Amino acid sequence: MISKRIDNAALFAMLSSLADNKQAIGRRYAYWCNGAPALEAAVAAAAMTQDELGHARTLYPLLEDFSQAEADPQQVEPMTRTLHYHLGTLDQDFAGWCDFVATNFLVDTALTTFFEAAQDSSYDPLRQRARKVVQEEHLHFVHGEGWVRRLAKAGGAVRKTLVASLQKFWDETLCWFGPQDDPTMQRLQNEDVIDASPDELRSRYLAKVMPVLNSLEIEFPVAFNATTKRWELTQALSWENWQASSRRLEQA
Amino acid sequence: MSETQENTASRRNALNESHVWQVYARRKYDEPLHEIGNVMADDVELARVYARSIYDEFSWVEMVLVPRETIVTVIES
Repeated sequence: MISKRIDNAALFAMLSSLADNKQAIGRRYAYWCNGAPALEAAVAAAAMTQDELGHARTLYPLLEDFSQAEADPQQVEPMTRTLHYHLGTLDQDFAGWCDFVATNFLVDTALTTFFEAAQDSSYDPLRQRARKVVQEEHLHFVHGEGWVRRLAKAGGAVRKTLVASLQKFWDETLCWFGPQDDPTMQRLQNEDVIDASPDELRSRYLAKVMPVLNSLEIEFPVAFNATTKRWELTQALSWENWQASSRRLEQA
Repeated sequence: MSETQENTASRRNALNESHVWQVYARRKYDEPLHEIGNVMADDVELARVYARSIYDEFSWVEMVLVPRETIVTVIES
């Protein structure tokens, strides 16, 4: 029996990006399973590593179902894949525990925001996976938030290093949702794969991270609009180095 | 100790976990909760994450944390 492949470049691109980001986060976390500041945090890091790699492992096989995978079948296997659609800031090893915490709190939460928008997806395999991912990610967010609070309150060089790590990931994480007129995201929303536009996803994302950052007086160009009751960017994102195909910022 | 050294020491202390949480759990509803270990965390939310990730060898039906400092000794060992 010949099964018909799905012809949807937008969905294929987004699944590739989600899988690559989960895989990259898992690999970066893995280095810290025996290097965290406390034994408890090391065990939590190991558990989160397993979760992230597990999420990637459930996403990659979906790529095989798409006609876009036919051109180069080696790109659907994480072991043979040469394309990397994860954030450019995940290319390098973490410089320290603060990079782990910033990735945990900022990058992983952005991916979760996307999965939350796909919990009633018209694409069944994503809907099923999204619900499980969202459930597991709750603990990851609590871990990220807890560590952001601890490191920020420690003050001095510890706080400075944390803020530098958060700043390192900030722009690219917000850009990952794409510009508002991103054709990939527009198609996904039009086909009910997700239930929000890039700006709406960014707004939902800011509603998660900003209350924490604001309470710790960690400043980013975001303000709370009392009328709309939403956190809004006060500075436009720069799309100059944005690569739509890989959903990452490439250094010029 | 100089002021700078004191500040550094206090920041280092701020990162050290000082609160111990006793972890109790049970695998069946007809079993009582029993102590399965402990975790160290200053923050109750982090204590929850640590307890779940460290003591994940069984599918518990219930797990609770008790701050060690709230335990009242009746008969000392």
